[in-house]
Amino acid sequence: MTNSGGITIDGVGMQFDGRQGVTALDGIDLDISAGEFVTLVGPSGCGKSTLLRIVSGLLEPTSGRVDVSGKTPNQARRDVDFGFVFQEPALFPWLRVLGNVLLPGRVLGRRNPNKGPESAEIARELLRDVGLEGFENHYPGQISGGMQQRVALARALSYGPKILLMDEPFGALDEFTRDRLNLQLLDVCNKAGSTVLFVTHSIQEAIFLADRVVVLSPRPGSIARIADVPWPKPRALEIRYEPEFAALTGELRGLLTVEDEVESAMNQP
Amino acid sequence: MSDTRERRNIANALLRFLPSAAVFVAGLVAWELWVNVRDVPAYLYPSPSEIGGELRDEGLSLAVDDLRWTMIEAVLGFLLGSGAAMFAAVVFVHAKFLERVLFPWAIVLQTVPIVAVAPLLTIWFGFTLTPKVLIAALICFFPVLVNTTKGLRSISTQAVELMSILSASKWSIFWRVRIPSSLPYVFAGLKVASSLSVIGAIVAEFTGADRGIGFVIIQASYRLDTRLMFAGIALSSAAGVLFFNVIGALERLALRWPDARLDR
Ligand SMILES: Nc1ncnc2c1ncn2[C@@H]1O[C@H](COP(=O)(O)OP(=O)(O)O)[C@@H](O)[C@H]1O
Ligand SMILES: [Mg+2]
Repeated sequence: MTNSGGITIDGVGMQFDGRQGVTALDGIDLDISAGEFVTLVGPSGCGKSTLLRIVSGLLEPTSGRVDVSGKTPNQARRDVDFGFVFQEPALFPWLRVLGNVLLPGRVLGRRNPNKGPESAEIARELLRDVGLEGFENHYPGQISGGMQQRVALARALSYGPKILLMDEPFGALDEFTRDRLNLQLLDVCNKAGSTVLFVTHSIQEAIFLADRVVVLSPRPGSIARIADVPWPKPRALEIRYEPEFAALTGELRGLLTVEDEVESAMNQP
Repeated sequence: MSDTRERRNIANALLRFLPSAAVFVAGLVAWELWVNVRDVPAYLYPSPSEIGGELRDEGLSLAVDDLRWTMIEAVLGFLLGSGAAMFAAVVFVHAKFLERVLFPWAIVLQTVPIVAVAPLLTIWFGFTLTPKVLIAALICFFPVLVNTTKGLRSISTQAVELMSILSASKWSIFWRVRIPSSLPYVFAGLKVASSLSVIGAIVAEFTGADRGIGFVIIQASYRLDTRLMFAGIALSSAAGVLFFNVIGALERLALRWPDARLDR
């Protein structure tokens, strides 16, 4: 099987030992095909970040296995198949914006597909794409949190990874920037054919971006529902006003709200 | 635009400095008045103007013949002690085991009173530069070690995860993440060490030297020449402040990103 970019998650569970021994994930089964855009929604603490860490080989699951196009997550990570946008921008404060975007290329060295002088050109272009033209020489400490997050996105795209893992990357952005970046992201991923696993709090965003939305329920984190999103790509922002979109939003929100009610009922003394 | 900002910064710095300078001048005036009014013996309590006269007459030869050596000792000791401390910190960060074994001894080294060690080194090495440089190095070692170790450890988990996603080598992580994130801490340690190194050199000179500010002060004390003693104190303080500020200037050059410097 050489569908480069596909991911198979097979019965993955994660137990953190601590005082109480949290079961963060339990029996997660998910098949993601190459080039597919999958979003994960669910209340905080249901294991979304943990799942991304497991897929990327940063964390070893306590049960089950993950296959990344015939490799283990660790092998895929060593082959730099992943781009990761973390919840916080995690920029290096001592590098300017352009330097931060160029960092992966410098670390990868000969393994970077975008070598030589054109890598700087690509970095500038990516910064333009995320609306940061003119900020190349600012330090991260001189730009807003939302702008930092956009730098982090450009950084993750700079070396053309096959698989993009994104952990609530746009949570800190205003709605307009978020819309623009959503379109941009769809465009970029479509062109590059990247596989995307994208975590978000926003059901609207989850549906708008995804080929499939995975709804997670907490304690322990497990899949409550996988919904296919029918609209073909490329998509326009206007699909969000279609009745089917609203219906799907309502349906998924219902799933999450029920979870919340159960949760608050459980929290009653 | 940045030029005017620079100028405004300098003006601000001067303004901030003004109250401290005023306190200093007020202190000198009070001292001068007190010496004159109380009619205390001048050989015990020289007035600022007398010390000033001494500095005018002897300052240049003091600086060239003695302060120069004290500062050479201090700077060499600073380089040796800080260099050794940074090396040890890098080793500690990469080998926790060695840190467990050696760090307690670093603390012991730190608690040994250098005044007590100085005569011993003088016996071993004679009236040479070596004991002074070693004492200065000894006094610099600990603050730089502690700060550098802390700095090298100050990297965030996310930075490590990012480098891990990029499949970065240990060397690459060290060079691209650990070193830059340690710099603010390293410079905080170096600034402390720079002022301590002058003290170390002078203390070492007390116990056996034929030149240097410490030597001058000890000799002057035998003759109750308090003017010369004060002149020595003033000169060595000024040199210490200068050294500290040289390191501070290097810090400003190295730490250009916003909020990099720890002490401001
Ligand atoms: N390193 C860890 N050690 C112990 N518990 C953890 C760790 N990481 C996450 N958890 C726990 O696992 C659960 C899921 O966390 P996380 O994946 O961050 O959730 P989400 O991203 O959906 O908000 C939480 O209960 C959290 O406290
Ligand atoms: Mg999370």
